[in-house]
Amino acid sequence: MKNKIIRSIFIVPVILYSLLLIALPIIYVLIISFYKNDSYGGMIRTFTLENYMSIFNSVYIGIFLKSFLIAVITMFICMIISYPFALAVSHKNAKTQSIFMTLVMVPFLTNSLIRMYGWIVLLRKNGVINQVLLSLNIIKNPLNLMYNNLGIVIGMVYTLLPFMILPLYSSISTIDYRLLEASSDLGANKWKTFTKVILPITFPALFNGGLMVFTPALGFFFIVDLLGGGKIMILGNLIKNQFLTARNWPFGAAIAILLIIITYILIMIYRKIGGKMDDLGA
Amino acid sequence: MKRKIILLLLFIFLLCGCTKEDKKVLNVLNWSSYIPDEVIRQFEKENNIKVNYSTYSSNEELLAKISSSKEGTYDLIFPSDYMIEIMINRKMLEEIDVTKLTNYNNLNRQYLGLPFDTDNKYSLPFLYATVVLAVNRDYIKDDITSYKDLINTKYKNDIVLIDDQRFVIGMSLLANGYSMNSTNNEELRIAQKWLEKLKPNIKAYDSDCPKNFLITEEAYIGYIWDAEAKLAKMENDSIEIIKPKEGIGISLDNYAIPKGAKNIEEAYKFIDYILDADIMHQILEGYPYNSVNIATDLKYKDDIMYSSKYIGTDYDNNSKYFVENIGSSIKNYDILWAEIK
Repeated sequence: MKNKIIRSIFIVPVILYSLLLIALPIIYVLIISFYKNDSYGGMIRTFTLENYMSIFNSVYIGIFLKSFLIAVITMFICMIISYPFALAVSHKNAKTQSIFMTLVMVPFLTNSLIRMYGWIVLLRKNGVINQVLLSLNIIKNPLNLMYNNLGIVIGMVYTLLPFMILPLYSSISTIDYRLLEASSDLGANKWKTFTKVILPITFPALFNGGLMVFTPALGFFFIVDLLGGGKIMILGNLIKNQFLTARNWPFGAAIAILLIIITYILIMIYRKIGGKMDDLGA
Repeated sequence: MKRKIILLLLFIFLLCGCTKEDKKVLNVLNWSSYIPDEVIRQFEKENNIKVNYSTYSSNEELLAKISSSKEGTYDLIFPSDYMIEIMINRKMLEEIDVTKLTNYNNLNRQYLGLPFDTDNKYSLPFLYATVVLAVNRDYIKDDITSYKDLINTKYKNDIVLIDDQRFVIGMSLLANGYSMNSTNNEELRIAQKWLEKLKPNIKAYDSDCPKNFLITEEAYIGYIWDAEAKLAKMENDSIEIIKPKEGIGISLDNYAIPKGAKNIEEAYKFIDYILDADIMHQILEGYPYNSVNIATDLKYKDDIMYSSKYIGTDYDNNSKYFVENIGSSIKNYDILWAEIK
């Protein structure tokens, strides 16, 4: 009995938290996505699919594709950087490992907006990188490192890298070394061991990291605004605009719901190809 | 031990005493970077009123904040022209009683009775902002008198624009000789074509601090709020402020009291305080927008901020255009905006 009470003391806050701060807002967004907006930015309580229909305008489809492209590129670059890093770190001794992983986590302690302003100082036309390259006579004219797609990808990769490194690291560092020994005993070279043993074991982590990088990359409008110069619109900006400039909350809600559905489909695909939900939570 | 508890209790009593004193409060919701902090501190001190000051960065954000919070959360807000019209229509504002304002006559009559609130029943003007061109003359030597001059291929990656769909599309409409608030599809199509031609010249859209682009010489031309242009000019005197001959966009911000406000007396006190010639001047020194206060204008007419250097060349026909509520046509603007980005 006493145990039950203690357990519920710990569980109830979590349930309340998820209900109040996750489930309720999503239900609210779902409901208003079927409303109609009036020209004064208010909402008319009806049931209409108009908002969902108007997403299928070539302009908005274009924004979906552009966002996906940026998110996919970000995801792959994160994978390419994180995988060797996680592999290398997991071979070090415990102390070095913890130092490296702390270094990965430290930037998290600073507000991401402030870190983006740091990048502006580095990347802009008269910024640190251009000044150094110019003074070393490596370049003649300053490079356009930001206020374009390059700037956006740099910002996205930088911000989301830890989300890829952490699951990969925790997965790689738990690989049973006897498996690798067995692989080499059976005649596999290093590459084969990697593709046949390490990669399959770490695949759920790779997918998990990919999902955790891909999904926010669709919505990080502040990176697009600051490092992309607000010239490019991704889903995040589109949704924000519906709420804060176009005064069309129902349409913004419909796009947000579609985004949730897409994320859900991605997780379903993952399950179809044999992934376990538990691994995603790792 | 007992003594400690008594001390603790006494301390708690003391704290209660502090909150019980019932200091008057005023909840202000205003644009960010609009009233210097000192002005608010002075007001608090002189009137013994605690001001809770929060900010927003677009009219739509204001609308969202008011409509999603409990009535009476805010006592004084500063919506722009077209937002006043929207808020009146949604019955979100209290009527204003000008007899409570001793400094009412300081207001410039020219800015009263405008179409969005013809009798000033719900709003009084606070100050206005215009969108102007700021050009760094160290790098851009050509004559610039019209928005059309901006689509010169020489200015690749040189322009910073405010990130505001109505003013940017409005500029394009003005450049092509149409109304800044056009809802005609053909005219909007031409405006879109023009903006696509401008696109290679655009370095960035930024509403938060576009003056930085000019000060750091990241961009040489800005289509930005006049206060930003003036602040940039203070840092870098080679910047010239230009008002194109097609006319400029203007945004008039107003005092308004939201429905159900709890501290209306304090709100009037604050409005009256700001209507004072010296206080308004102090505000304009911090954020050099444009005064609608005739007393300030007369008293400080020799101030550098009133010189043509900072005001910019004023053509005789320099018309100013308000952003108007265009109803559901905003959807077309939104699609156009997504298309040019």
